Amino acid sequence: MKDNVKSGALTEVTFFILLSLYEPKHGYAIMQFIDEKTGGRLILGAGSLYGAINTLTEKGWIEPYGDSDGRKKEYVITGKGRQIAEKELQRLRDLTETAASIMRK
Amino acid sequence: MSIVKRRFFAGFMGQQTKWLNSMAEKGYRLVKTGKLEYVFDECEPGKYVYTVEYVGDRSLEEEEKYKAFLEDIGYQVFYKNMNLAYSTNKLTFRPWADKGGKFSTLKTTFNKELLIVEKENDGKPFQLHTEKQDQIDYYNRMNQPWYFAMFMALLLAVIYWPNLLPTAICGSLAVIFMLPVIIMTFKIRKLKKEKELEE
Repeated sequence: MKDNVKSGALTEVTFFILLSLYEPKHGYAIMQFIDEKTGGRLILGAGSLYGAINTLTEKGWIEPYGDSDGRKKEYVITGKGRQIAEKELQRLRDLTETAASIMRK
Repeated sequence: MSIVKRRFFAGFMGQQTKWLNSMAEKGYRLVKTGKLEYVFDECEPGKYVYTVEYVGDRSLEEEEKYKAFLEDIGYQVFYKNMNLAYSTNKLTFRPWADKGGKFSTLKTTFNKELLIVEKENDGKPFQLHTEKQDQIDYYNRMNQPWYFAMFMALLLAVIYWPNLLPTAICGSLAVIFMLPVIIMTFKIRKLKKEKELEE
C-alpha cells in the first residue's frame, strides 16, 4: 500500500479503512465494512489488510483499541488519522466540483 | 472418515492450491499437514476453499503474528514446508529474510515456508493480496530466494572456471533459477503499469 505523496491522495482502500475505524473494529469487521459500503465492488484480501493495518499503525493514523487478551484484536482511528481523512474528504469535494463544472457545460 | 494423501509440491504453489481446492470440491477438508502427508476429513463438497501463501521471508515472530491475524479473520491456517529436509539439526542462511529470520532452524521457520489458508466458500474468489502495491511487494519477496540461488550458482561457475563441466553445470543451474525471476518480473511490470492508471 502506497499513498501518493505528491498529490496527498489516499488509495481508496486506505480511505475506507480509516472510515471503518471511526468505530473500533477487528480485521474481519473492516473487510465486511468495505464490502458493504461499496456493494461488493471493492474487495480487500486479508493479506493486504494485514499490510495496511501495519503501515497505518506505523504512521500513527490508527492504533490498537483496548486490551484484547484472548479476544480479537481491535483497531481505532487516531486524531492524526481523522485529520488525514478530513483532508481527503476536502480533496474529493474539490475534485467532484471541478469535474461537475467541466462536464456539465 | 479420514484419508491420507502423499504429495510434494515444492515451490509450485499454484498447483498445490488447485489440488487442495479439487479435494475440497470432492468433499475432503484438510485437517493436518505433514512433510509429505495431507490428512483430510470428509465434508460437504465445495464447502471450503484454499489458497497457499509464501511466508519464507519472515521471522518466526512475524509468521506467528500473521497466522494469528488470519485466524482472527476466521480462517483455518496450516504451516507447510516448501523443501524436504530430514536432518535434525538444520540451519539455513536466508539473507533475504526479515531480521530474526536470517538463520532458519527446525525450531524456528524451517519447514514453515508456506501457509495453507482455508475459508468457508462464499462464492467469491479467495485472494489474500488484492491491492496492487501489495501484490508487487509479494512477488518481490518471492523473487529473493531465486536471486540468491542464481547468484550462488554464478559464483560457483566463476570459481570452477576454466573447469568446463562444473562451470557448465553451475551456469545451467543459474539459468534455471532465473526462470521464476523472469516470470515474476513480468507480472510485477504488468501490475506497475495497471497501477499507474488506477491509483
